[in-house]
Amino acid sequence: MSATTSPPAGATPRYIGQAVARKEDPRLLTGQGEYVDDLSLQGMLHVAFARSPHASALIRSIDASAAKELEGVRAVLTGADLNGDAHEMKSSYEVLIGSVGPVLEPLASARVKYVGDPVVMVIAESRAIAEDAIELLEIEYDPQTPVIGYETSLANETLVHPEMKTNLASVLTSEPDPALDRAFANAVHIVQETIRQHRYINVPMETRGLIASWHSGRGEMTFYSATQLPNEFRTFTTRLLAIPENKIRVIARDVGGGFGQKAFVGREEAAVLLAAKRIGRPLKWIEDRWENLVSANHAREELVHVRIAFDADYRITAVFCDHEEDIGALPASGTSLTTGQMVGMMFPGPYKIPHAGYSTKMIWTNTCGRLPYRGPWMMETVAREIMIDIAARRLGIDALELRRRNTITEADMPYTSATGMSYDRLSIDRTLEKVAAGIDFEAFRIEQGEARAAGRLIGIGLSHLVEPTAAAGGSFGIEVANIRMQPSGYVDVYVGTGNHGQGTETTMAQIVADTLGIEYEKVFVHDGDTDMVPFGGGSGASRTAVLAGAACHAAGAELRGKIVQLAAHYLEAAPEDLEINSGKISVRGTPTHFLEMTEVAFKAYNDSPSLPPGMSPGLEATARHAADGITFANATHACIVEVDPKTYRVKVLRYLVSSDCGVVINPAVVEGQIAGGVIQGIGGVLFEHFAYDENGNPLTTTFMDYLLPTAADVPTIEYAHLETPAKGPGGYKGVGEGGAIASPPAIVNAVADALGMDLPSQPLSPSLLFAMVNRAPTS
Amino acid sequence: MKCAPFRVELPSTVDEVVAALVEHGEDAKILAGGQSLIPMLAMRLARFDVLIDVHHVDGLASIQLDQNTIRIGSRVRQSEIERSDVIKRHLPVLAEATALIGHFQIRNRGTIGGSLVHADPAAEYPAVALALGATFEVTGPAGTRVIPAADFFLGYWTTALTDDEVLVAIHFPIPEGKRVGMTVKEVARRHGDFALAGAVASIGLDPSGAIVETAIALFSAADQPLRLTEMEAALTGHSPDSLDIPALSAAAAAGLAPGDDLHGSADFRRHLFRHLIADVAAEAITRAQEATNV
Amino acid sequence: MSEDVEVRLTVNGDGYRVRVEPRKTLVDALREDCNLTGTHIGCEHGVCGACTVLVDDRAVRSCLMFAYQAEGTSIRTIEGLADADGTLHPVQAAFREAHGLQCGFCTPGFVMSIVALLDENGAPTPQEVREGLSGNLCRCTGYQTILEAVDIAAATLRATSLEATR
Repeated sequence: MSATTSPPAGATPRYIGQAVARKEDPRLLTGQGEYVDDLSLQGMLHVAFARSPHASALIRSIDASAAKELEGVRAVLTGADLNGDAHEMKSSYEVLIGSVGPVLEPLASARVKYVGDPVVMVIAESRAIAEDAIELLEIEYDPQTPVIGYETSLANETLVHPEMKTNLASVLTSEPDPALDRAFANAVHIVQETIRQHRYINVPMETRGLIASWHSGRGEMTFYSATQLPNEFRTFTTRLLAIPENKIRVIARDVGGGFGQKAFVGREEAAVLLAAKRIGRPLKWIEDRWENLVSANHAREELVHVRIAFDADYRITAVFCDHEEDIGALPASGTSLTTGQMVGMMFPGPYKIPHAGYSTKMIWTNTCGRLPYRGPWMMETVAREIMIDIAARRLGIDALELRRRNTITEADMPYTSATGMSYDRLSIDRTLEKVAAGIDFEAFRIEQGEARAAGRLIGIGLSHLVEPTAAAGGSFGIEVANIRMQPSGYVDVYVGTGNHGQGTETTMAQIVADTLGIEYEKVFVHDGDTDMVPFGGGSGASRTAVLAGAACHAAGAELRGKIVQLAAHYLEAAPEDLEINSGKISVRGTPTHFLEMTEVAFKAYNDSPSLPPGMSPGLEATARHAADGITFANATHACIVEVDPKTYRVKVLRYLVSSDCGVVINPAVVEGQIAGGVIQGIGGVLFEHFAYDENGNPLTTTFMDYLLPTAADVPTIEYAHLETPAKGPGGYKGVGEGGAIASPPAIVNAVADALGMDLPSQPLSPSLLFAMVNRAPTS
Repeated sequence: MKCAPFRVELPSTVDEVVAALVEHGEDAKILAGGQSLIPMLAMRLARFDVLIDVHHVDGLASIQLDQNTIRIGSRVRQSEIERSDVIKRHLPVLAEATALIGHFQIRNRGTIGGSLVHADPAAEYPAVALALGATFEVTGPAGTRVIPAADFFLGYWTTALTDDEVLVAIHFPIPEGKRVGMTVKEVARRHGDFALAGAVASIGLDPSGAIVETAIALFSAADQPLRLTEMEAALTGHSPDSLDIPALSAAAAAGLAPGDDLHGSADFRRHLFRHLIADVAAEAITRAQEATNV
Repeated sequence: MSEDVEVRLTVNGDGYRVRVEPRKTLVDALREDCNLTGTHIGCEHGVCGACTVLVDDRAVRSCLMFAYQAEGTSIRTIEGLADADGTLHPVQAAFREAHGLQCGFCTPGFVMSIVALLDENGAPTPQEVREGLSGNLCRCTGYQTILEAVDIAAATLRATSLEATR
């Protein structure tokens, strides 16, 4: 299989690069989508969970007798009833890298470890009745002192998991490096600060949910799931139930967003699968919003002690990233070890830094567990970019100039970072200059001076990143495409992705249509059903365009080759003389002498005697693509904000993104990914905060307290794209996460610039901003 | 997140509402627009055996203009108040306050009576009623009584209504023919959120331009809407030009003890009030000065 | 348990006779009893707007209304917007054109809110649009393309009504 770049030889790209209308939209716009809660099975029962009201407690007793007697209740299951059915509760990634934490159990059996920990499962004729029954449960707890606050957790003698003997889940440190130490020792300037961010979370508009149906006669488990990773959910279930994968079918039809939250099988989902097998009736569990907020796992509560060494010219000579993260009590299986390392390895980011070191600690607390959220390692960009501005302020150099002086340029490519990341075909300096020009830094400084004189606080912020996309961890490193041209000439494409908003049905169809030289309307992309699609990694980690796209290119090229060969046979021409245009195959230069692709397709299946000797019938090709390391992309963000000195509300006046994600398949999809990410980051800094009190009680358990940004709170995003093709097939780079990674520091830097002060911690809610301004010495 | 079970009664007269309240006592709750009650039921933070749904009760859903009063039935929806020509003409501040309540989808169901009886200290209507000297027409087993706004709000989600009484209407005096300016402002985290701090002002001028009547009420400042009586007294009888309104506002704000939570510390809320009080006072004066006799 | 009540609902012009508990919300009845699953449940406490439907032409949260309360009203849901021949409503068409959706879960609520907004004000200012949409939450798009879709739909609807008056 050869690596090709778009367009494939002989074809004119008609669809790649165009903002074609999405194939998903007609059904989704008319209320005909099929999200998991839209589906019902005959005889289906409903599940609700009783959850811990304590951050840490021993379960003394559970009396379910009254709940069981309620009319409409079919079963009440505790951990003691159910957990023994679970064979192994591990993600494939945890199997690959080895366990890092306590054994997960579907329901808490002896000890609850956070508020929201599932304890009892009620199965009833309706969700309402199940909730009625929960009120009848008598659960006796013996509350324990909880461990709250990861910054003090390691010094705490109280343990989240007594059997683990420590609250330190993991620690990883880069190799000792005398050159690094020398660089710090010889530095002209050292700037250090602790940068913190706060807990904020994925919050897909559709909560988690599944319908599990056990067929005892066939010994088969079928489950409909809101999942990003259908195949991973299947292999997880193999281990959970100890039945062959062949007897498990995972179906994800339409999925209402995930942002990482639906990439892991939750304990509740495992409990539903186990109970469905035991009860023999289909079970539906649709998480409600309270459950989603308190228990669907959390992210982003972390800090970095940053140290940066500069020479006399303000060139960075060394950095050290000392990272700590709160992973709650029960983080998603296998995810919290390597992400911390990624924070350290990506910390140098877009800058030429000769020496870099890192340390990362993952720390347990009695709060909801961590899971990956859009750019899970993004603390590297947050800490670095906030720190660059702090350094600029302290050293008395302009923040743009400081970045310019240290940015890796195109002339430096290929470039290997001090932490061993290999960058190539990046345009890091060019995106920086694009936004600097687009936002007109010099003009802004003049405007800012005038505004200050008039009592207005406006500021500008930059953020600059290299984004590792399609990072090749575990099954995320591979993707598959199986392409079948049917006898009608229409094409089915089966990919292992789990489309949950990315427009995969559209973008992969664009690629295949161009690769085969047929109409977009004739290509149908299928994913999300493990009985239909081959094994693939799923959707997440900014991987779909890079890996599924590459697989579609490869399978499409192979299939095209066969079609051309067959057509050459019928046209009595040499294959290399043929071209395909809009479904017609002709000898180059004689467009009137052609074969309809539909004729070729028909013959391939229905007229096998006419095929060339040795050619197999049918038109089908499958390609598996394995990631060749990480596909890096780059972007620079700039924004201008105004802080209202009366209300301390921050208004984003301008937001400009220059992103280089390689070849753009569909600009509307790409901009949609960037915009969605940027607004999540703005939301995270200005509005969102999942907060606990000192006893571990969650404070933001509704949408009245956990504040998502609305249409009235967001800027109009301006774009200045660059397209530097990646080395891989099609030239695509990922773009799913960069927006959410880069926007938080851009906003923080702009607010800090407006106020003329360092802002090393978040969120920047009006009340907290007021406190920071009034606590800080006046500048 | 499903409500606990309940029964519904659908009375068609105020007397039937009262009879149902008498019969069920604390086990019953009146359901008006439901925009605050239904979320509480869904989260099972509240539960009642019986909901007395007042949607079919005659006479609760009209806006009537008398000589010096607008009578608003308790079940009049917020969106109807927002759209009402009578209110826009005679009591525009009420329409302005309504536009600050939640989102338009909420206002399409939410009622004025429901909001007032719910008595959330962060809500707009209670403070407006207090500033404007509204009176509450309340019916119970002993008949109808009228409660002045100043006596109606007693604390967090608590009013002077007894368990067997229903709010029938609210009467707002209108400043017909006077030079009165009114305004309302608030600061919220996002558009449509409950206010972190809010203020309502109504200021009347005499022909010479001196302030003759002042009412300033705050919301989200305490456990109930709050009148700034000291500041009102300091304004009344003076020409606006002779007043240092920012200083008076700062003094008034410094005396407040607002709530302290994740979204706003007490210090921050005092800071907001300092500006809000000054802003509503100044704007009410400006509006009074611009007011032409109608 | 409270007694079920019989409720007659008119949804998109079709009559439904359903038996529900008084506690059943309108959105649950639409989804479970009328099999109209296009109206989604995002929070069940009246904030996210995913369940927005039109009741007598006014946009409401169908999670903050009980099914029995819809007796005698005329309800319009996302399923009732497109023409019988499948032609999308101008708001739906504008969403498609502007890529105003990604995962699509919040979309029906947005579309219904926008239909109501533009029905009341055919030429809203950008600020009116943003504030009007602030009662609907979207986590995918960052609202950019939804705002574009409103502009496109408003223009289409204005052109259509101009044509109709000629």
